[in-house]
Amino acid sequence: MKHIDPQVHRVLDGELPAEVLTASQREQLAALTRAAEALSALPRASVAARVMTEVRRPPESAGRRVARWLTERHAVTISVRPIWSLALAVVLAAVAVIPGRGPGPILGDQEGIAQFVGRFPGARSVDVVGSFTDWQSGAVVLRDDEHDGIWRGTVVLPVGQHEYMFVVDGERWVTDPLAGRYVDDGFGRQNALLFVRPIVR
Amino acid sequence: MNSSRVIPTDREVSDPEVVARVLVGDVEAFGIVLRRYEPGLLRYATRMLGHPDAAADAVAEGLVRAYRHLASCRDPARLKSWLYRIVGNRCRSHLARRSASDISLDDAPPLPDMSDTEAETERAEQMALVQRALETISPEKREAFLLKHVEGMSYEEMAEATGERIPTLKMRVHRARAALLQALKEYP
Repeated sequence: MKHIDPQVHRVLDGELPAEVLTASQREQLAALTRAAEALSALPRASVAARVMTEVRRPPESAGRRVARWLTERHAVTISVRPIWSLALAVVLAAVAVIPGRGPGPILGDQEGIAQFVGRFPGARSVDVVGSFTDWQSGAVVLRDDEHDGIWRGTVVLPVGQHEYMFVVDGERWVTDPLAGRYVDDGFGRQNALLFVRPIVR
Repeated sequence: MNSSRVIPTDREVSDPEVVARVLVGDVEAFGIVLRRYEPGLLRYATRMLGHPDAAADAVAEGLVRAYRHLASCRDPARLKSWLYRIVGNRCRSHLARRSASDISLDDAPPLPDMSDTEAETERAEQMALVQRALETISPEKREAFLLKHVEGMSYEEMAEATGERIPTLKMRVHRARAALLQALKEYP
């Protein structure tokens, strides 16, 4: 960080006149003053019409507010200790490999079902890429049907060990924090590990 | 007899008077608040967030919130600091939601219009350069620099607008100046 003489700070704070500064200190003062002036330009846009439209709207009645509250979605945030997150991951992994009793995909002897779940509030898209997609995105796309930031997807995979990562908004690669097992990807990050077991018929 | 009623201009009506009028149901009086503070708030949010659309959302949401909670403004003489505090909170929420990976070319400052004069183009380029340097420093320092040197607040007003102590704000302003100067040197 560039050092600024205390005298320059005092001039900028209005405690001293600029005349007390040396030539090099005046250069610092001029650079900061120019920066502040450049940032002082007022934007041409205005939100006044938008704000006035909103404030002119008559206030909602109490009954209507209650009705709206009852019919709208509400985000519920639950804080859990990491140990419970791991327990949840174990349960989800178990569910993922237990054969379903209802209608579902017809699986071969050497295939199983993997379920991916990730919490990415505000994400526009979440993909899973891995050894089973040749690390190409687009093949396993997760969905946030509840619009609660929890992205889910189920896919049939060959039995065995697979490496994977989440790709958020098509560009941010994120390691699954709930995977439980990981392996170095050789680029300084860790891929999550997934074990798909055959369905016991 | 010819009598005429003198209508006070915006400038002649004090902030406490405007607040009082709004609180007794004169919705249109809130327009005075907008004419008085919206340009500065929009500039502040734009510089904080580096994106005009996000800034417009933060300011619009903040001002509607201010209108709805105007009765909780304990000192209407300090309306300006109170509004900056609300909009500052909206900006902080936005920055917390937005991760570094969300920054894209869309966030770049707008290019100057072809019809602009040469001087305006130069000013726009200078502004884009400083904005880029500003975005390299932390939001706390950025906020301190903007409130002090762009919005022209005293440290007392800054303390009201941010809820921080004056010595903390002084330290942030000093560090922001040094960081900005360094960033400007790196982006000639």
